[in-house]
Amino acid sequence: MEDNEDNAQQPPKPHRKRATAESMAAKQRDISVSEFFAKNRHLLGFDNPRKALLTAVKEAVDNSLDACEEAGIVPEVWVHIEPTGNNRFKVGVQDNGPGIVKKQIPLIFGKLLYGSKFHRLRMSRGQQGIGISAAGMYGMLTTGRPVKIISMTSPRKPAHYFEIQIDTKRNQPEIINGKGDGEEIPSGEKGQQYIAAHGIEWIPGPRSGTRVTIELEGRYVRGRGSADEYLEQTAIANPHVTIHYIDPEGTAATYERSTNELPPEPREIKPHPYGIELGRLVTMLKDTNAGTMAQFLTESFSRVTPSVAKHICDGAKISTRSSPKRIGRQEADALYQAIQNTKISAPATDCISPIGEPLILKGLHQQVPGEFFCAATRPPSVYRGNPFLIEVGLAFGGGSSTQKVTLDALTELLAESDARSIRQFLLTTFDGIGPAGAEKILSEASMGPRQTAAKLSKEDIAKLHAAMKNVNLSEGQSMQVLRYANRVPLQFQAAGCAITQSVIANNWRSYGLSQSRGQLPAGPVTIMVHMASVWVPFTSESKEAIASYPDIMKELRLGLQAVGRKLAMYLNRRKRVHQEGQRREIFLRYLGEVATAVSSIRDSDDLSRKELYDRLLQIAKRKTSEADILLDDSGRKVEAVEDDFGENVLIVNAEEPPIADL
Amino acid sequence: MAKKTKKSADSAVLTAKDKKTLGAIRSLADEVVSSADRGRAPYVEIPSRSLSNVRFNNSKKIIEMGSGTNRRELFNLAQARSYMQTLLVGTGCKQLIEQGKTTSIRGLFYLLKHTIEGAGEETFDTQGECDPIIEDVEVSLDSMREELHLYAKNAGAMVGPITLVDSGDEIDCSRMGSGGYSVPSIVEQDIVQFKKNTARFVLHVEKDTVWRRFNEDKFWRLHNCILIHGGGQPPRGVRRMLHRLHYELNLPVYCLLDNDPWGYYIYSVIKQGSINLAYESRRMAIPAARFLGLRSNDYERCQLTPSVQIKLNDQDIKRARQIAQYPWFASKKPWQKEIAMMLANGFKLEVEALISKDISYVTEEYVPARLTEGKFLD
Repeated sequence: MEDNEDNAQQPPKPHRKRATAESMAAKQRDISVSEFFAKNRHLLGFDNPRKALLTAVKEAVDNSLDACEEAGIVPEVWVHIEPTGNNRFKVGVQDNGPGIVKKQIPLIFGKLLYGSKFHRLRMSRGQQGIGISAAGMYGMLTTGRPVKIISMTSPRKPAHYFEIQIDTKRNQPEIINGKGDGEEIPSGEKGQQYIAAHGIEWIPGPRSGTRVTIELEGRYVRGRGSADEYLEQTAIANPHVTIHYIDPEGTAATYERSTNELPPEPREIKPHPYGIELGRLVTMLKDTNAGTMAQFLTESFSRVTPSVAKHICDGAKISTRSSPKRIGRQEADALYQAIQNTKISAPATDCISPIGEPLILKGLHQQVPGEFFCAATRPPSVYRGNPFLIEVGLAFGGGSSTQKVTLDALTELLAESDARSIRQFLLTTFDGIGPAGAEKILSEASMGPRQTAAKLSKEDIAKLHAAMKNVNLSEGQSMQVLRYANRVPLQFQAAGCAITQSVIANNWRSYGLSQSRGQLPAGPVTIMVHMASVWVPFTSESKEAIASYPDIMKELRLGLQAVGRKLAMYLNRRKRVHQEGQRREIFLRYLGEVATAVSSIRDSDDLSRKELYDRLLQIAKRKTSEADILLDDSGRKVEAVEDDFGENVLIVNAEEPPIADL
Repeated sequence: MAKKTKKSADSAVLTAKDKKTLGAIRSLADEVVSSADRGRAPYVEIPSRSLSNVRFNNSKKIIEMGSGTNRRELFNLAQARSYMQTLLVGTGCKQLIEQGKTTSIRGLFYLLKHTIEGAGEETFDTQGECDPIIEDVEVSLDSMREELHLYAKNAGAMVGPITLVDSGDEIDCSRMGSGGYSVPSIVEQDIVQFKKNTARFVLHVEKDTVWRRFNEDKFWRLHNCILIHGGGQPPRGVRRMLHRLHYELNLPVYCLLDNDPWGYYIYSVIKQGSINLAYESRRMAIPAARFLGLRSNDYERCQLTPSVQIKLNDQDIKRARQIAQYPWFASKKPWQKEIAMMLANGFKLEVEALISKDISYVTEEYVPARLTEGKFLD
């Protein structure tokens, strides 16, 4: 209102009521987390119906696996996605975990940011305590249906059944059934009858466990970013888990565990001084019960010994015996600087539990077709005071499923198929060929894409079969990257993820793959990268991509190089085997001529020609296998090549490897 | 295959030489059988025909082949095909000898060329692939090409006051018209015999065009010499003929070649032998041969016009320096001077350049002047 003079000269404007500080204050109030996330659900991975379905499954399964592992139970998970019409799906996830005590059930599933994992530094799938309650809230918002939970802690104790809604305004659970107190299900036979009578979903069998059922609006599409993909990838990185899955179309699938051994239990650790920010340090100083600075430092942080604590205090010009509660802002700042300037050993890394090379191999082999598998687990390292560890597994080859099918099997598949066109038949029957692959096969067979699958004549089937054999689908195929953070597959934001970035930045050409600049390498390769850490630095709350800290990038690079070297060795060997075949062929080509020439010079008969030919043939065979023995610079034989692979390599003996797809 | 295994009913009477060659071919085949019987990979030792395996024999003044050999193995990827071809050439030559016939090396190529059963590959793709194999067989069997009943196409012609007998026909080389006596590729004693000779020396010119000039001007009659050309790099027949004329009839050999690296090299081949056929040097090289011209100083001496100069290109310069380095040139000061002068001139001269003076300048003035002067390059 400084320009009063101007106003005076102009005709007075019609009076408009402006907000005053007081009127504004009336509108200012708390925003509940639930309200915030209800509005910003994309932050949690509920941006579209398709992703919402996946996220719900994912959050539930992750929680189940965490619970089982923490309780030392080999996990078995049942996942059931059932369409209820109108773009709605009922997602049921049950585990054989320890169960949840009655009092906690509503809080865990009905309150956002409630959990056991946020305040500790320990490697686990979940971190914030948002996921499963957010899924429930999303379901409630889109379908109005409550979240249903049944949990049993022991076969002898009664199980509890809750139907919960979230009061988004207060971020509080609201129990709907049992007059706001839930229902109690008696143990044993009686309980079974009760469950059946009340239409509660529960798969009998496990001694304890929890089942959560959420009805939500979603869309089910197979392929990338689907629940199916998530479960498959989970099975790869968690070979100790069995997953029973019934998809929306009613098809049941089971991913069997390949080991009964649980991964070693990760330990909880105290934060490392290097990973602490100033604000956090101030809070910690205020909250501590320690009497002296020395005590505070040694008790609140890992790797701080009394002598290190003294070093820090000296650096900050604070007495080791001063009270932490009396430390002021400036002193805290000095303390923070002193911590950065003091040499403190890296945090203990035994708090991380890697999958381990043997299990990576098992997991990959079980789920990914291939002829060569290798794995590398890097030693633990540290970023910003958080220990982490990188593991890389690689699967190569295998050819595509279309090339392996026999003519009889194809005929049978065609007869069974209800696909409307051959194109659709190819797409739905064979994994990973993609529309482009299907087109290639069809044009090779010179068939129209709309020809009906069921009405093919015998000749046409044979033609199609030949085309499937001839078309090399892996030619244009690029490397498939499976990303994991604490054993959880990351399915979105590939481009923004440190893992993808380091795979692209790696020079795969030197390992025998072709790669264009700034692209993933080409070839029938699947690579899985796992980052295990007490705190995985995600780029967002929906936990879709790992942030690229330099320390993490370095470890990723080293891990990728380790498997890359082994791949290069394998590819070289494969090439040699191929060359040996070629070599033999060349010798064989000339043997006949040589034998004939010799016989004609010596005027000998056909019998001795044959004899000579056979002898030469024997030598040829011996020579070609000998030729593969490498000689070093001084002409001595180099050790057998097989030994060079080192540990943790799995080579599946494929019939003649198809060299052409390189 | 039938065409090769067929026993020819008309087996010719074999000479002692033929029997020796057949024996050598047979031992080649026996080697294969015996190593196969012992489970060893068969191979042929082929004397190496590369620059590294020739040396200049300073006392004999000829290039000789060293003792280095290359092993050609059947079970070696790079050699399997040529091994097979080596044996094929063996069969071809055996057939020729047994039937008492000779053929050109091109004929042999066609005789042996066929598709390898089941491979869709030809035994020989081009004659260029076949020719070196033939030379390999020659050296490894230590048999001359003619002993294998092979010949190259005729190249080179001669005229002069000499009468010889070629395959029983008497030939008077002074009555050969404008074409001259075409020198066959095999001029061994058993085919060509010298009957009567009145010539005093041999003039070897580089190519046909120059030779025709000399023949038309009847230079050989005037100067009582044998006139011969080799069509550029002289083939074996011509070189062997020169060799025999020189050693059997004691005729000095003078060479009239272009003043360029190529001409120098031709002279070197006539005089010392060639690297590729080093094993034939003792039958072909004529260390007493002399270089008559053209000389680097002829441009000034004969007062030629600049329009006859041909500029030296990079390759010429490189080749000239290479030739200057050859041990048989390296020790000769006049030759070093000669090559240095050509390089300094920056151009080369062809013998035809002399025609710019007068059509018969070369026959009537240049060569007679050089002959009387007697200053030849050694």
